[in-house]
Amino acid sequence: MPAYHSIFLEDRDVPVIGNFPVLPLRTRTRGPAYTLPPLPPNADTEVPPDSESYDCVDEILSLFRANVLFRNFEINGPADRMLIYGTLFITECLGKVKPAMTARDAEKALINVALDHFAIPGDVAFPLNQAFEAPRDRQDAETLRQYLSQVRQEIAIRLHARLYPGGVGPSKWWLSFTKRKFMGKSF
Amino acid sequence: MASQTPAVVMDNGTGYSKLGFAGNDSPSFVFPTAIATKAGAGSAAGSGPGRPPVANKPSFLAGGAGASSHLSGKRGTEDLDFFIGDEALAAANGPGYGINYPIRHGQIENWDHMERFWSNSIFKYLRVEPEDHYFLLTEPPLNPPENRENTAEIMFESFNCAGLYIAVQAVLALAASWTSSKVTDRSLTGTVIDSGDGVTHVIPVAEGYVIGSSIKSIPIAGRDITYFVQSLLRDRGEPDSSLKTAEKVKEEYCYVSPDIVKEFARYDREPDRFLKHTVTAPNGRSVSIDVGYERFLAPEIFFNPEIYSSDFLTPLPNVVDGVIQSSPIDVRRGLYKNIVLSGGSTLYKDFGRRLQRDIRHLVDARIRASEARSGGARSGGLDVAVVTHKRQRHGPWFGGSLLGQTPEFRSYCHTKAEYDEIGPSIVRRFALLGGPGSS
Repeated sequence: MPAYHSIFLEDRDVPVIGNFPVLPLRTRTRGPAYTLPPLPPNADTEVPPDSESYDCVDEILSLFRANVLFRNFEINGPADRMLIYGTLFITECLGKVKPAMTARDAEKALINVALDHFAIPGDVAFPLNQAFEAPRDRQDAETLRQYLSQVRQEIAIRLHARLYPGGVGPSKWWLSFTKRKFMGKSF
Repeated sequence: MASQTPAVVMDNGTGYSKLGFAGNDSPSFVFPTAIATKAGAGSAAGSGPGRPPVANKPSFLAGGAGASSHLSGKRGTEDLDFFIGDEALAAANGPGYGINYPIRHGQIENWDHMERFWSNSIFKYLRVEPEDHYFLLTEPPLNPPENRENTAEIMFESFNCAGLYIAVQAVLALAASWTSSKVTDRSLTGTVIDSGDGVTHVIPVAEGYVIGSSIKSIPIAGRDITYFVQSLLRDRGEPDSSLKTAEKVKEEYCYVSPDIVKEFARYDREPDRFLKHTVTAPNGRSVSIDVGYERFLAPEIFFNPEIYSSDFLTPLPNVVDGVIQSSPIDVRRGLYKNIVLSGGSTLYKDFGRRLQRDIRHLVDARIRASEARSGGARSGGLDVAVVTHKRQRHGPWFGGSLLGQTPEFRSYCHTKAEYDEIGPSIVRRFALLGGPGSS
């Protein structure tokens, strides 16, 4: 049984930029993503996959601890690229959280990583250019950047909730995955 | 023969030797197959740091591997100065002794050490008179017949034992599975998965005969699981991550999960799945470490070797399927129907269940594909069953105990008289014990 793939591979008609999918997100930050309905108040952090609010960030976070152990990953479609991007971004986030940080400091650090200048597919600094196509023109590149920024912020916020369950932490169970490199790559 | 002495069953493995008497349900002694000899361990006969001031061997014996392998050439008593098993490990910690492992990869490499190891096993541990007992020894699959002859030479000429039978470990492991309530027909056809400390073998056996060309081995076994647990403990910065602690964690807490993503989610929902393990150091201080994901991630390396090793990537279920597919077609059904586990690294909870499920998925997928290709033909299906039983840990030894207590066991052995008449070549062949026609 190899690494886990995205269930969003089955979704048809997902718009793509280059070969990166623009999947719907459940987010409050503004951007090009189609917005899914928010969760009911006081819902669990773990969203069931059949819920209409389940998005790719939920999937990335639930698959992270399993997938990050793998070195090989076969890309079966655009949605898998989202999975790769998210998994590598979580590793980057975990690297910024130090065991002694309070919940508030970690939140700041994570938001900073999410908002920092980052490379998009096609940039020289982007590590996975073999598997990711560059956007067609400047305008597409800008949309992709905005979309990825939404994804990054959403991952940072939800990862923080998992690292500090009930405000205490950081969870050493999550931090133990800091050194692992999915596919041997990192941002 | 009213009051027969019980046969002695000795299963010498790479890691541990299991000694006992036929008819018992567990071995009387289990200790490392290790021997500690006076200084100059193994080939290093030179001036080691622990070497005593007086040379303990005549100079003409110190060099040359050939000369030192004959006991008869030795004078004095230094060849009696050795320890085996746990005592050997203890002695090797002190000065003056070097540790040797006479068995490598299941086969005997150093006959001189093995002879001394056996003599201590028989006289010091089991305390029997070899001339009163029949012996049942084990050998790995594909053991060369010359090794069997050497064994017979030692057993008959040095120890003068009454009779000898050498059985293949995999066949004995199959026999051991007869104690499971799931096994009804007591056949000697099946696939044995033997996972010890160093290596895991998948061995197809048809009616008591090992299909040598299809045997596969996997470089992932108990030791690797221990290393993997250790690396997980280290990544998390636990206060104690020694190999010994990792081994304890592995033995006490690990189990096989059906799906690792679901298992991670389960740990999030049920925090009581995280456990604490207390390590007590020799100086009396104790530290407590957390035990978490390694509980199910460690045995997972059998099913996803990729998460541990970068050079071996084939999951165990695929290896088993490949082994059976490369065996003769007329025995494949029997091999799928009776997959028997043996060895310490197969004891994880639900190991058999997961293996059975994964192999069944592979088989079903292939059947569906060939049904689709044939255009309308229906397959009757293929039964895949993994047998888990209570004697897995010392499977081959227990199988030997089971067969060694049968009344006809002695008739399958070669006796001292037969050996004297024909010579060592007699042990190249043994009639199949427990095969068709017996009991």
